[in-house]
Amino acid sequence: MNLEALEREVTRLEDIQEIEDLQQMYGYYMDTHHRQEVVDLFSDDTESIEIESVGLFLGKEGVKKFYLDNDLLQEGQEVVPKWINVLILMSQDVIDIDPSGKTAKGRWNTWLAEAMLVGGVPRQQWLQGYYENEYVKEDGKWKFKKLHWNVTIFTSFEAGWLRIPLLGLLNRNDADAPAPHFHPYPSGYHLPYHFKQPITGE
Amino acid sequence: MSTLEELQARITRLEDIKQIKNLQAIYGYYQDYGEWQKIVDLFTDNDPSVEEADRGVYKGKESVRRYFIDLLGGGPNKAQRPGWLNIMFQLQGVVTVDSSHGKTAKGRWYGMGMEAKPIISLHKGELRQTWIHGVYENEYVKEDGKWKFKKLYFNLTFRTPFEDGWLKVPVVGQNGPDTIIKPDVAPTAYFPYPSGYHVPFSFKHPITNK
Repeated sequence: MNLEALEREVTRLEDIQEIEDLQQMYGYYMDTHHRQEVVDLFSDDTESIEIESVGLFLGKEGVKKFYLDNDLLQEGQEVVPKWINVLILMSQDVIDIDPSGKTAKGRWNTWLAEAMLVGGVPRQQWLQGYYENEYVKEDGKWKFKKLHWNVTIFTSFEAGWLRIPLLGLLNRNDADAPAPHFHPYPSGYHLPYHFKQPITGE
Repeated sequence: MSTLEELQARITRLEDIKQIKNLQAIYGYYQDYGEWQKIVDLFTDNDPSVEEADRGVYKGKESVRRYFIDLLGGGPNKAQRPGWLNIMFQLQGVVTVDSSHGKTAKGRWYGMGMEAKPIISLHKGELRQTWIHGVYENEYVKEDGKWKFKKLYFNLTFRTPFEDGWLKVPVVGQNGPDTIIKPDVAPTAYFPYPSGYHVPFSFKHPITNK
């Protein structure tokens, strides 16, 4: 291995680390309602945000609309009530950097413990789903290019996924379109992997 | 300043750890979806093994296949029953690559998740929703530049009904080794909560090295 090849490998490992941090910081910012900080994690050329239980938002304008028009706020409220809790555990990432070094894809498994209004009623809820996201490196910094969260379970703390797979719909009427994918439990849907089977290559 | 060769060795170690963490994460994703053949293909052909909870040890590639395809999958290409849920988060990996040759590695992980499965009970076949937790201590081997599973070992701590919790009902749905699709060796350690059993660590204490 010459110095150039070594540098490429170091860069790839650094890229993966930076993307892990990006995704995890996104979680911390979301959990603490730092919505402007979240928006600033996205590329100006963002393709889309798809949250399957909410809808599809297109472009950087869609990013601003989705996060800054904060759906945790009721009319007249300016700060999120203290009892409202968002907790997104980001885990099990598989991140692959494109050979160009300029784009990347990542899958994550997420576990959420939340308290918020669902259908106007305060609820405590468990959620589980997967991200398949895309990232882009601009001026040496990794940003979100595409965010897609697939919901498997969105259940109440009291009932569980078998009895209530989906506690309610959170569709937003300001979305650019309904979510193109929506297959919660017990559909048996498999969210496609961006990666190939690492041994067989299939 | 290190030589190029020394730097390369250090980079290779970091890449190995990353590749093994990806392997374990990908295993988890396949397991969530019941893609058993893809999991079998993550194992080495060279004397692999799998042991989970009280099911016993399945040794050799053919037994690994029997375990995943025949036992967990219910047969080749068999669709899971509607409502089957098998989410197991692969968390908190500590991966140690053998420093002398870089060809084998060990990894400890937490598995924690949510399931809906038919549990043998008075109402056989009825789905129940359960929380599951346990500890992995796995072994990996590098062949032709790719890391594979050599040994998959999952020690169950609890699988409790959603409605009850681990304190009231630590385990449901474990009934010992299968009597038809039999393991090659009896279970080596099955001590779920509240036994207080600690799965031995594959790693040494990073400060005292003990």
